[in-house]
Amino acid sequence: MKVAVFWGCRILTSQYAYEMSVRETFPKFKVKLVDLSEASCCGDPVKSMNDLAANYLAARVLALANKTGLDNLLVPCNRCHFVVSEAKNVMEKNEKVGQKITGLLKEEGLEYNHNVKIWHVIDFLHDFVGLDGVKKVVKKPLKGLKLATHVGCQIIRYSDLGRVDDAENPRRLDELVSALGAETVDYAEKLDCCGANLMYSHPDSAFSLAGTKISALQNLAVDGLVVSCPDCGLMFDFKQKDAATTVGAKLSLPVVYYTQLLGLALKIEQEKLGLHLNQSPVSQLLSKVSP
Amino acid sequence: MSLTDLMSMAKPNLELREKFLARLSGRELVNCFQCIKCTSGCTALKLLELKPHEIVKLVNLGFVDELASSDIIWTCVTCLKCLQRCPQKASPYHVIMALRNLAVEREVKVPEGYLKAVSQILESGLAEAVQKVVTKKMETFDRESLKLPKIVSPKESFQAVFMKIMEEKQQ
Repeated sequence: MKVAVFWGCRILTSQYAYEMSVRETFPKFKVKLVDLSEASCCGDPVKSMNDLAANYLAARVLALANKTGLDNLLVPCNRCHFVVSEAKNVMEKNEKVGQKITGLLKEEGLEYNHNVKIWHVIDFLHDFVGLDGVKKVVKKPLKGLKLATHVGCQIIRYSDLGRVDDAENPRRLDELVSALGAETVDYAEKLDCCGANLMYSHPDSAFSLAGTKISALQNLAVDGLVVSCPDCGLMFDFKQKDAATTVGAKLSLPVVYYTQLLGLALKIEQEKLGLHLNQSPVSQLLSKVSP
Repeated sequence: MSLTDLMSMAKPNLELREKFLARLSGRELVNCFQCIKCTSGCTALKLLELKPHEIVKLVNLGFVDELASSDIIWTCVTCLKCLQRCPQKASPYHVIMALRNLAVEREVKVPEGYLKAVSQILESGLAEAVQKVVTKKMETFDRESLKLPKIVSPKESFQAVFMKIMEEKQQ
């Protein structure tokens, strides 16, 4: 089956490991990804400046998806997933804004379609492919790995929009990790935010949030942290050193995207999954996944 | 200036309050009974002293102008916990976003990161510039060397529409 995909900005501009591992793993479920052409930002930073412009950008994503003729749109970024989902809600509920944006999209020859279904990597794999479907393709179970998950904020809140998982007790990512044969742990800081959105205004506080969470995770003696959002990946993996400096602690926690972990269980070459691009000490984790 | 100082020094502007509440249609701001569920779970409370319940209260009291000029509205992490947990559907998150929009319209200082994102969108469609990644082994990679597809940017007609909306005043 064909599925349209909107990557957003952060994945396309720096979180290549996420993009590579999604592109490598999804075809194993007979899913062909169709990139949106001429895509722009989902509108997230613009939400703080001009709500209408942000909703226009987000509605444009759905209009571009409509242009592909496909019914399903994969949005692997948590922020984009939220912004596009909220705009969809506004387009439906607020007639005035809906008409205005529909008109603006026409200027570019685009047509908004409310029926495009929005998926994230987590619910697509958990609910559409299904845990059994995931288990079926596993070639090498990741036995012996003890992992923590960080599901992120914006795919689980707010529930009125219809989100990917429960707002207070998200389980899907844990279940997906378990489906690969690894063990997951529950921990008190599970719902703590990575801080990425503060990078616009208060980077030190953003690093402090990320560093505090990584410190707590290190005390759990887990083999690594699993994320599924490019913002969380940026903060916990790419910026782990900055976070360590800010909180004044020695941080060395392997952080991987779920699709990278999935790829390992599917016996896809590490380099194709972008595992050489992670900035956190992933070799610690990889050495436990014998080839 | 702390928010407490605002309460003691400023005078409420009820007319502006009405206009502001109209922007938040569907959000039952006046129903807020200060249960403080929002603040008790706020990610930005610990580090940046953001107290969402105070913001909602101050809007209800008519201190919209003062809030729009305050730095405090730019400390929200947008984790959405306040909105999720609000029993009265007041949504401090949406109140803070609307205050930020107001600050932008009034050309009050806006953190540079946001301005940069908008100029980047005008330039390439994306809010961020494409980066090269240096690995731990000091090898440099970009999209091309990673064999990732080329990014096809939006045409100029997009920039024109986006610019037009950004310049338009919101009601």
